Amino acid sequence: MDAFGMGLVAALGALATVAGASEDIESDVGSQSNPNSQVQLAAQVGNPHRIYNKAIAGEPPSNALWCATAAIMAYVLIQGYHMPLLFAAAAGASLAALFNGVMATSAYLGRNASQARFNQWVYLDIIRYTTPSIMAHVWITSFCIVLISIIQVYILTPHHPFPIPVIALIWGLTVGAVGSSVGDIHYGGEREFQWRLFGQGLNTMLSGQIVRKAEAGLRNSIDNAWFCAKFGGPCTGMGFGLTVFLDNWRTTVFDPVNQAGAAIAMGVFFVIVMNLYNFYCELSARRKYGPYPGYKGDIAA
Amino acid sequence: MTVGGGAGGAPQSIEPKKLRIYGLVGSVVGIYLAYILNSVTGTNIFSFVGSLAALFAVVMGANAVRRVCAYGIGTGVPSIGMLALGMGIVASLFGLNIAEQLGIGILGVIVALVYSVIFGYVVGLIANRVMGFNIPIMEEGLSDLSGAGTMAIIGWSFAISGSLAYSAIVTNVINTGFLAIIFICGGLAILHPFNANLGPDEKQDRTLVNAVMVGGMSNIATGVCALLTLGLPAGMVQIVAGFAVWYYFYVWFFRLAKRDAAAVVGTGLLPPSAL
Repeated sequence: MDAFGMGLVAALGALATVAGASEDIESDVGSQSNPNSQVQLAAQVGNPHRIYNKAIAGEPPSNALWCATAAIMAYVLIQGYHMPLLFAAAAGASLAALFNGVMATSAYLGRNASQARFNQWVYLDIIRYTTPSIMAHVWITSFCIVLISIIQVYILTPHHPFPIPVIALIWGLTVGAVGSSVGDIHYGGEREFQWRLFGQGLNTMLSGQIVRKAEAGLRNSIDNAWFCAKFGGPCTGMGFGLTVFLDNWRTTVFDPVNQAGAAIAMGVFFVIVMNLYNFYCELSARRKYGPYPGYKGDIAA
Repeated sequence: MTVGGGAGGAPQSIEPKKLRIYGLVGSVVGIYLAYILNSVTGTNIFSFVGSLAALFAVVMGANAVRRVCAYGIGTGVPSIGMLALGMGIVASLFGLNIAEQLGIGILGVIVALVYSVIFGYVVGLIANRVMGFNIPIMEEGLSDLSGAGTMAIIGWSFAISGSLAYSAIVTNVINTGFLAIIFICGGLAILHPFNANLGPDEKQDRTLVNAVMVGGMSNIATGVCALLTLGLPAGMVQIVAGFAVWYYFYVWFFRLAKRDAAAVVGTGLLPPSAL
């Protein structure tokens, strides 16, 4: 272990935190992933809306695409044209943002056009002012992920044996999976359905009955980004940042070849501590906010 | 997503058999045309023809996704696209390698295609019989998807490596990691069209135009990769060709979306019926 390596691991953690936060907000601006099913259902149960419907294959594959796109551009510029690392990462992220804009607009146009019989209109102003926000968040996410890959391959010792595009693809899948399971709950659970009591879950009767009207006027996806940036986004960032930091920390402190046993034991220790903490969080939430008033003992499903 | 198209097959104006023939013949002929042009002229500038050939396979794959997923598979749309490219990677590497070892390297594309169709059929059988999907066209659909994924991967791999030799593809596509972008961008080209147009009023022409549009975008990505492996001229030709395809089909897609939507408005409140 050396101080330089530890500093790099800290930088990886910081970059991952930013990437996680921006990834989650990006998916919330476009209502991607799990909350998307409710946005899609809304029109079908008679609630046309002005919320962006960005269905790009769920978060893990779509983020893998943005990060891999940014990574190939960066890799080509570094290997073939000897560009500075930061410039290459920025150029790659710009290409990824452009790809994202194409996919996002085609999904919004396609999904809404396929709901013509439910009178779901296509609003061009939503495309004009929401898409740049989505693209900007993708830029931040893919820039951070590509920088993580570059640090792992070129700077951190021992150098990672995989090529940059593959590492970026895997990190993209990971950040998408973390965002999908951490931050989307906040958007889907607390923004699309604001009046639910604690412990109620989502009743089938409420499917598609999302909040469509805002404090003033009609709700749009920028409002949702504002809301999610306060809790869901930072939570995702913390989740992904800790994943990257703790995982790299244990292989930096313990040599992965000579002290492999210690590194694995440390990983198992982290998993056990996190499980205990999760258990504590759930118990504490149930104690503070529960039980659900309609709860009448265990009922067979 | 729980709400897909209706069960019982999607309405279609172009027959799947016709699209299958276009897809397979177009991609095989395109890849060999690119190979011959490159060999005859002694350059790698015609590698972009391989990336255009992949578009035929993408259209066929997108139509297969549309047919299989119209049976109510909603969240499975991304998975089935990934499955197609996963089967494609196995089949293409197997086919190119085996053909080379048998001394018929030039026929590698055909070997990979035959293997992939059988592979897809077996996976379809397992999905239907063992896992109990009970989708009548599952075997046929997965054969199509596997074939489409294989041809797309070979087409784009050729576009990056400029050669059909197994060793060249391993050096230029796999060792550099560019297979990652072929896998994910190609997968999205096959799965995104139906996913992006999911809904009861989905139309076949709009979905397939979307497929070519995303395929054109993938050509831009492989063109960027080719800048490193084939050099500036071949890469730029590929990027320009990809951009032209993308632009033409994006405009077309926008026109079709305007045709099919209930209304396209610059701005405004909710429809009067919903207020």
